[in-house]
Amino acid sequence: MKVWEYILRRLLLAVLVIFGVSVVTFFIARVVPSDPAALWVGPRPSPDQIAAARVKLGLDRPLYIQYFYYLGNLLRGDLGVSIKTHQPIVRDLRAYLPATLELVLVGMAMAVFIGIPLGVLSAARRNRFLDHFSRLVAVASVSIPTFWLGLLLQLIFFGQLHWLPISGRVSIGTALYRPIQTVTGFYLVDTLITRNWPAFRDALTHIILPAFTLATYAIGLTIRMTRSTMVEVLQEKYIVAARAAGLSERTILFRLALKNAIVPTLTVLALSFVYSLTGAILVEVIFSWPGLGSYVTSAIINVDFPVIIAVTLVVTVFYVLINLVLDLVQVVLDPRVVLK
Amino acid sequence: MREPLISVRDLQVHFHTHAGVVHALNGVSFDLYPGEILGLVGETGCGKSVTGLALLGLIPPPGQVVGGEIRYRGQNILTLPPAQMRALRGGKIAMIFQDPAAALNPVFTVGEQIELVTRRHRRMGREAARRQAAEVLRSVGMPEPERILDTYPHELSGGMQQRVMIAMALSCGAEVLVADEPTTALDVTIQAQILDLLVDLKRTRGLSILLITHNLGVVAETCDRVAVLYAGFIVETGPTGAIFQSMKHPYTQGLLAAIPHPSSRGRPLQAVPGTVPDGLQLPPGCLFHPRCPFAWDRCRQERPVLREVADGHQVACHLYAGEAER
Repeated sequence: MKVWEYILRRLLLAVLVIFGVSVVTFFIARVVPSDPAALWVGPRPSPDQIAAARVKLGLDRPLYIQYFYYLGNLLRGDLGVSIKTHQPIVRDLRAYLPATLELVLVGMAMAVFIGIPLGVLSAARRNRFLDHFSRLVAVASVSIPTFWLGLLLQLIFFGQLHWLPISGRVSIGTALYRPIQTVTGFYLVDTLITRNWPAFRDALTHIILPAFTLATYAIGLTIRMTRSTMVEVLQEKYIVAARAAGLSERTILFRLALKNAIVPTLTVLALSFVYSLTGAILVEVIFSWPGLGSYVTSAIINVDFPVIIAVTLVVTVFYVLINLVLDLVQVVLDPRVVLK
Repeated sequence: MREPLISVRDLQVHFHTHAGVVHALNGVSFDLYPGEILGLVGETGCGKSVTGLALLGLIPPPGQVVGGEIRYRGQNILTLPPAQMRALRGGKIAMIFQDPAAALNPVFTVGEQIELVTRRHRRMGREAARRQAAEVLRSVGMPEPERILDTYPHELSGGMQQRVMIAMALSCGAEVLVADEPTTALDVTIQAQILDLLVDLKRTRGLSILLITHNLGVVAETCDRVAVLYAGFIVETGPTGAIFQSMKHPYTQGLLAAIPHPSSRGRPLQAVPGTVPDGLQLPPGCLFHPRCPFAWDRCRQERPVLREVADGHQVACHLYAGEAER
């Protein structure tokens, strides 16, 4: 099958890309002026302790040897140990990555279900009230500072209305009395699998505000992108032909036109998805969300380079995979696109 | 006298642009009878396509019908509520376009596109819609209709694409087909096939066709009657034979004289002098008078109306005013 051949080729290429990224980040991390050995030992170390740590971490050996050790461990699925906390990085990632993924995926779903319809209707009612409104929403949502919006939402929905919790992934009550059994690390999924309904409800209410705060930027982009491609598509002859055939406006907009206009929107969504994996730091801090963003930020501040490299690699993997999926989706949507 | 299926009377369409009001149609009147092909001819920009779109209630903004009426089976469709107009479109009155490659949606299969239309107008399941789609493809002379259903438009030739368009237009039993330059984008041999198909559909189904074209050769071959449009105004209409043999209006005479002919070899082509008037600023009186070699005072002041000069042959020109009144 031609498609599988293509996927296989892209995956092999992806391995090369990941290898390249690992080389670059590894060497950049080592030229940054900092002393990992001193960090490893802790505050006020003695010179002897630092020297011992240097040997233990292999920092006394040539750089390329260090890299080969690192690569060897990487191939065995060992991302190393955090210099600051001495915790295995794989274990940290297993906790933080699902939290972030869950948050980002819910945010992206919001962008899809709010941004695309608004963009479509905006194009259909060009220069009318709904168009002006949704363009205002679009401009506002890409320009409102995340931290301000997050605080505002907390003030309204927690402070005033008491509808939604202020922060965290679950409430203390749930953690104590209906603890979530970790299967995938996605709380919404885990609670569904284990039929822990109160916990599901709790996790759902916790994710709404941070996911929406995270999604605003993507919603704005989605509206703008969908609107502009839809405006173009709606001028096509096949749209006039569809109207001449008596098809309803809903069919024309959301089926016939949207399928022609969706690809640029999906590209934008995919890019903001990857960006949000580590770029959600502000949202994670405001809503005390234990995710990848806060994890990697503290690693950067501490020059905890094994963590930095590990997170970079994880994001690279997602970037490569998302692009592959995007290309395949494009083939499914448009028969004129040929895989090369 | 037979009842006309479509009857257009004094149709006026204006486009409100920043530069001013463009007078696209300035009193178009014609009848389309059951089972006939009426050719609507004229130069580029004379309002042919706008007339076609008006029959489906699809004048694009900022265009607006400002006067006249369009009757389908006696009912003025300009006053129909939107839902009824939508049911009429594709259901009773259908349209095909100049460039079939652009008029077919590139990301849906032929089958999906036809089925969407049939299921919109007739309640039927997916299976039945697919059978119906194959059937209608066969009826427009498409070989292997089942296979064609699963192809995408770009996999078909121009002629096949136009057949698909026709099939889609007729899939719900339309009585009137507005064909806007249906062969202009096609090769000459394919043109002939498509025109044959249209004539065939007229004979077998009793389909009425408004054939919009600038090609007088196409008109001579296929049309029963002709209406000549100039600056959004019908200047002459009549049976094809009468128009070609005893055309009356100076514009029609100019159009026909402009057709190259072997006997006129070596001599310069007789083009109609001047250009089509600007819709923003129409001349007073007869719209054609600035280009007319026979224009006199009356032509500059008074707009002529269509008058019968022979059986079914009408012309809007002051030159023949006396003839008709006599």
